[in-house]
Amino acid sequence: MTKWVVRQILKIIEEGEELEAIIKLSKENQRFKYEVAEEPGGENIKACFACGVCTGSCPISDIDEEYNPRKIIRMILLGMKKEVLSSNLIWMCALCHKCSFYCPQDVKFADVMSALRNIAVREGYVHPSFTETIEKIDKYTQEVRLKMIKAILDKKTKKLSVEAEKLISEIVKPVTKKVRAKGRGKK
Amino acid sequence: MNKGFDSQKIGSVLVVGGGIAGIQSALDLAEQGYYVYLVEKSPAIGGVMAQLDKTFPTNDCSMCILAPKLVECGRHLNIETMTWSEVLDVSGEEGNFKVKVKKKARYIDLNKCTGCGECTDVCPVEIESEFDERLVNKKAIFRPFPQAYPNAFTIEKDIRPCQIACPAGVHVQGYIALIKQKKYEEALSLIKKNNPLPAICGRICPHPCEAECRRRLVDEPVAINSLKRFITDYEMQRSDDRGQTTEVRSQRSEELVTHKVAIIGSGPAGLSCAYYLSQQGYKVTIFEALPVLGGMLRVGIPEYRLPKDILNKEIESILNLGVEVKTNVKIGKDLTMGNIFKQGYKAIFIGTGAHRSLKLNIPNEDSKGVVPGIDFLRDLNLGKKVKVGKNVVIIGGGNVAIDTARSSLRLGAEKVTILYRRSRKEMPASPGEVEEAEKEGVKIKFLVAPVEVLTRNNKVVSLRCIKMQLGAPDASGRRRPIPISGSEFNLSIDMIIPAIGQAPDTSYFKEYGIGVAKRRTIQIDEDTLLTSKDGVFAGGDTVLGPATAVEAIAQGRKAAQSIIAYIKGRKAAQSIIAYIKGEKEVELQAKKDYGELPPNTPLKKRQKIKTLPVGARKSNFKEVELGLTEKQALKEAERCLSCGICSECLQCEEACKAEAIVHQDIDKIIELDVGSIILAPGFDEFDPTSLYEYGYKKYKNVVTSIEFERILSATGPYQGEVIRPSDRKIPERIAFIQCVGSRDEKTNPYCSSVCCTYAIKEAIIAREHTAGKIEATIFFMDLRCYGKNFDKYYERAKDEYKVKFVRSKIYKIEELNGTGDLSIIYAKEDGKKCTERFDLVILSVGFQPPVDAVNLARKVGLNLNKYNFIQTRDFEPVKTSKEGIYVCGAFSGPKDIPETVMQASGAAAEASCLLSDVRGTQIKEKVYPPEIDVTGQEPRIGVFICHCGINIGGYVDVPKVTEFAKTLPNVIYAENNLYTCSQDTQERIKEMIKEHNLNRVVVASCSPSTHEPLFQETIREAGLNKYLFEMANIRNQCSWVHMDEPEKATEKAKDLVKMAIAKARLIESLKELELDLTKSALVIGGGISGMTATLNLAKQGFKVYLIEKNSELGGIARRIKWTNEGLNVQNYLKSLIDKVTNNKNIEIITEATIVEVSGYVGNFKTGFMRAGRGYVEEINSGVIIVAAGAKEYKPDEYMYGQDDRVITQLELEEKLLTPHSAFRIPQSVVMIQCVGSRNGERPYCSRFCCMQAVKNALKIKEISPDTEIYILYRDIRTYGFNEDYYREAREKGIMFIRYDEEKKPVISHQSLNVKIYDEILGREIEIPADLIVLSVGVEPYQENKELATLLKVPLNEDNFFLEAHVKLRPVDFATEGIFVCGLCHSPKSIEESIAQAQAAASRATTILAKDKILTAGIISHIDEELCAGCKICVNICPYEAIEFDETKKVSRVNEALCKGCGTCAAACPSGACTALGFKYEQISSQISAALV
Repeated sequence: MTKWVVRQILKIIEEGEELEAIIKLSKENQRFKYEVAEEPGGENIKACFACGVCTGSCPISDIDEEYNPRKIIRMILLGMKKEVLSSNLIWMCALCHKCSFYCPQDVKFADVMSALRNIAVREGYVHPSFTETIEKIDKYTQEVRLKMIKAILDKKTKKLSVEAEKLISEIVKPVTKKVRAKGRGKK
Repeated sequence: MNKGFDSQKIGSVLVVGGGIAGIQSALDLAEQGYYVYLVEKSPAIGGVMAQLDKTFPTNDCSMCILAPKLVECGRHLNIETMTWSEVLDVSGEEGNFKVKVKKKARYIDLNKCTGCGECTDVCPVEIESEFDERLVNKKAIFRPFPQAYPNAFTIEKDIRPCQIACPAGVHVQGYIALIKQKKYEEALSLIKKNNPLPAICGRICPHPCEAECRRRLVDEPVAINSLKRFITDYEMQRSDDRGQTTEVRSQRSEELVTHKVAIIGSGPAGLSCAYYLSQQGYKVTIFEALPVLGGMLRVGIPEYRLPKDILNKEIESILNLGVEVKTNVKIGKDLTMGNIFKQGYKAIFIGTGAHRSLKLNIPNEDSKGVVPGIDFLRDLNLGKKVKVGKNVVIIGGGNVAIDTARSSLRLGAEKVTILYRRSRKEMPASPGEVEEAEKEGVKIKFLVAPVEVLTRNNKVVSLRCIKMQLGAPDASGRRRPIPISGSEFNLSIDMIIPAIGQAPDTSYFKEYGIGVAKRRTIQIDEDTLLTSKDGVFAGGDTVLGPATAVEAIAQGRKAAQSIIAYIKGRKAAQSIIAYIKGEKEVELQAKKDYGELPPNTPLKKRQKIKTLPVGARKSNFKEVELGLTEKQALKEAERCLSCGICSECLQCEEACKAEAIVHQDIDKIIELDVGSIILAPGFDEFDPTSLYEYGYKKYKNVVTSIEFERILSATGPYQGEVIRPSDRKIPERIAFIQCVGSRDEKTNPYCSSVCCTYAIKEAIIAREHTAGKIEATIFFMDLRCYGKNFDKYYERAKDEYKVKFVRSKIYKIEELNGTGDLSIIYAKEDGKKCTERFDLVILSVGFQPPVDAVNLARKVGLNLNKYNFIQTRDFEPVKTSKEGIYVCGAFSGPKDIPETVMQASGAAAEASCLLSDVRGTQIKEKVYPPEIDVTGQEPRIGVFICHCGINIGGYVDVPKVTEFAKTLPNVIYAENNLYTCSQDTQERIKEMIKEHNLNRVVVASCSPSTHEPLFQETIREAGLNKYLFEMANIRNQCSWVHMDEPEKATEKAKDLVKMAIAKARLIESLKELELDLTKSALVIGGGISGMTATLNLAKQGFKVYLIEKNSELGGIARRIKWTNEGLNVQNYLKSLIDKVTNNKNIEIITEATIVEVSGYVGNFKTGFMRAGRGYVEEINSGVIIVAAGAKEYKPDEYMYGQDDRVITQLELEEKLLTPHSAFRIPQSVVMIQCVGSRNGERPYCSRFCCMQAVKNALKIKEISPDTEIYILYRDIRTYGFNEDYYREAREKGIMFIRYDEEKKPVISHQSLNVKIYDEILGREIEIPADLIVLSVGVEPYQENKELATLLKVPLNEDNFFLEAHVKLRPVDFATEGIFVCGLCHSPKSIEESIAQAQAAASRATTILAKDKILTAGIISHIDEELCAGCKICVNICPYEAIEFDETKKVSRVNEALCKGCGTCAAACPSGACTALGFKYEQISSQISAALV
């Protein structure tokens, strides 16, 4: 399964590099925005007036500027279906819903992301197990985060200072071991 | 005109809201012959415009352009301005409405208040200033801004619960406010207005005030009683130190009355009555049965609670007023009532108290060792030897019981027990007293009652008691004690003190024939305290039964008032009440619907009062409570929440020399009859507190745009210095965040229309104020500078002022720890994230409908839109859903000042149309006496010099200036006045003119711009020509600026007066000419605007000539299918043309060109030629309205004209409009915005094209849902409620893509594909297009130039007609009598064109409704002898008022057009031009006077 995921990701990256400089809307799927709007979560996609507050407030785009919600919306509205659904960007959203909170037009971008993921799975852009994996990643991420926070709290009561960076190796390793163990268990 | 009275219509109009819209409507209507009621809820007219620093795009000072309107409106004979008032209800129908208006109590007499401001200086209460957006405080007595009309103060007042709770109505909050300012003497004198025994009450009063104190809702009540004691103790100590009596000088005791009044009893009631009577000069004698004065105060209260020296001092201070005292005189025994009257006393007050103990009614209670509490205390206090037992039992639960118990301990009793038949909860004694008693060792047994006194040798040995339990509540509301049978027990004791109550002894008075009630109290009339006997009054415990001292004091004071009324001849109770109410004060309303408490009031602990240690209290009667220290008192006073706002400290009454303060004022409800109503209530600002991510109110340096406007303003909180609130530093980097509370589904989805341009203005002004130190950034989504010349303003902001514009919506503002600086994170269009630090962030807040007005509209049943603004329709922009009620300004949607003013005039035009039958029926006309001819008379000058309270008088020696004035030549009379502008001084000026035959008047006071018209009117009323007046400003230009140098100020005032007198010697009567006028109008242009104006005027009964250059009426609207709202334009146009064609007052002239225009306001002659006729025809008209329209721009770009598939928006509408046309909507449509607009050639925005594109795109989607539409834009400018259509368009799938001016879309020739660079994707997009629609905007006609030359009116650089003032005179030209409306003024929507056309009609009506044209008195005069014919004046005159006489070769002033600006006089090289009233010799005489 892991190999399949890697293959998919590589495929997405390769295709991404093949992008043409000019977007010809005649070649794009102009019905795509309506499709997204019909998918649960995507209802308000068309209301976007591109103010950029989603991008401004997005914690993912803080880390990776490539991840730009406004740009993704624009691509949807222009009908760039294939490019959107096969893009690795749609999997990056952490579903924190900050964008939805600040959006003046009530677009609910985080929900749009879920809609896109559903379509992507349904239409075979990714294997269903891919979403499962993502969901697992989300779970482990939360686990890691929780452990790190607990570790800080613990050290706080002992009045010890702690650096977030150092915690990573401390916390991530056991989690990875646990994940591996679980994986083995399944086999 | 038909002035028939057959209709029920009323020729007056109600205008709701005194902002610029209301002012404009009111002025128009008043000038058109209607009486106007202008109702404004705040204390002054002016609205939000008065708060603004500058106006865009001209950066005019807002107040400078508004203030003259305020004065004009305020002084207009036919406008009744009702400020501090609100409309409660409206009934009736068009032509005849009944309106209920509440005039809120202002507590100031508007006729007396001169606006001098001395009251604010002494007011101790500060509240947030709404005018200054709560950035600073104002006083509880305030005037919102210095230029306010009316120029009067207002007191903001709520209910003061402490004062209501006090039986004597003491001004509690007032004296606390004065304590805060350490004004102890004033505080004491304030208390004494209601209570002459404050030192006593400060010790023994059960202080019901504290029970009501609203501080208790926060933590604990304010220690009011202790504060009162503090003041009196402090002042007593001070006067002891000075060796003077404590009595503060009495108020208004000049009115000496010699009538005698007898007072029986010297307790608190009698003393209080004596005090207030003697204060008024009455001769008072007190008859007292005991050898000492004070009644219960002396004999009923032990000294450890009320020291005798305090009591003596306070009584003494009353006696010092001249009160006679006769002690040891018992009425009924030593003297009879009849005898008292025989001795010449006019009235008697009975205040004999309640000194008779109640009996226990148990066996053996008369035995030895049983001493009633009252007797015990009396003997003790009279200094008799009082013996106590070792084991004392006291029966009762009141203060007397506690007093006797504590006294017994002090006298040596070993064991003191109080028996009380109920529980602690029911005990009537003060809890504090009970607590102290227990501390001292007193035991209290609850639920025990005595049954029998057991004696041995008639001496008490024990008390048989029974235990009780509590049953159901009795009449007093307390639970009734019921004996528990069989629970009897014996208490071994040697003394019993029953203290179960006392009653008055009124047996003698009953004999005398005075009505006595069941409980032996004297019956009185409650309002007057009059007994059943004529001239006999009673109060205190005699009437109430045992009660508190403060109640007795209150009654004593009330009796004094009644007695005065009685002696003055009001014999019956009713007439006494009427007298007291009329002369004295209105009873406080005992309602409890108090205002809201300020949220988050910080907790403050109540000050602990020091007491004598318990150990130090044994065997002495030293005072136990020690009172507050000054430090404590000041801290305690700070705890007062000032919940009543005005504290009624009455300091303003003292300060107001004009006697304008009316603290007894009440709200009044009046009813008005009006024919029509105009709603102009303005808007509310959006409150951004709910958007907590912006940190408004959390971070000090996040302010709203209107707050920033105040910060910028010279009259604002920081006097115009641009500083930030947190640390008063000049901010270097400021940011504006747009669309706060606008274009947001979570707050207000509509666009607030004005914020973009006002943000630009504020950025520019901030830079100007700081010499460019401020770097301003504006964060926006679409920049909506769609108004006339706004885009140029935007470009200037970018280029000249280096304002940074960032297209990004901001989601959050964070404060950087401790610095007050703010951080903003945002994404640029390409997705790059940026963090920037700012010193100050301004939130550009949007508009909301005003809450009060929404409620009123609902009550009246007016249709509101979904955002609660008044619903109007595109073709009826000022009409509400109810006939006869009109709306203007922001209440029908967010809008800028010019549109507001246009609608205001438009609403006036509609109201005038409705009421034209009854025009002139309600107006007032002033009749003046004939003018005295003073020509040739030697000047006889009267000089009136104003103190302006202390404004001038405090710094300038006004009497000295007056004496100086008297020495000047031609000065016949000079005097100084407290306020020269007051109503009585106006009468005096008139009298003096008559008495001394004055023929010139000089007033030395304040600013002529506000006060000159008043004085001019006064002298005119006395028969003098109003120009025989001269004014010197010795306040603004002298006393105010030389406060620190009074001597120099006096010298300067002399000089200023001397200059004014020098000129006055040379001034002459000036004539205001009356000219006839032609009551008809010429309207140029037959489009919607022209026809609208025409029809309005014709309906009002005026003859109208409508000239149209084409063969058909309709103008550009003939090509428009729908309005924004979706209404059918062609149907509307047809009905409009029908109405215009069929109106008998309208003459339509088509295919005609204007060839010449001559004349002036009231009498224009216009020559025109019709097509095919070779001669010139002429129209005479009083006014001309220019509605010449504009045309669609014909593009030469984007392949227009080369490819049929490239069309304009209007062409698209025409295609869609034509029925059964071959046109089929294709699959893909691309619309390109700003074609030919906002570029170098046409730098203006065509305003409506964004909406036009949205409208047409939506129409296409409606017909052909599968068509894909792309709108390529630079900024989407769907302002106001049009934002809804923009959202609808997006939701329908219409795609909006922005492009930069430098990267315009490119159309490929063959395929018609459109290439556009998308900033968001950072890539080029190619859009397949089957049809390209260009939004081309409008272009003015070339012919405008010729027309403007003929009319002598200006065009702007874009060839649109240029109005007189972009903000406040949007349809007038500087040349009087000519007006402009519609597209020839600037691009606008149909709705806006209609409103402007109505406005033009309104402005025209202000001229046509009159019978004569009155010219100005101060105009230019040209001496033909001196004129060299150089024509400089002709070219320089801004009003086109100078013509050149080609035959005589001289210039001539057209008196009807001249505004007296004096430009020609200054420019004329030969000295032929003179500005009358400012002649060369007049000015030079002033200058010489200053120099000599």
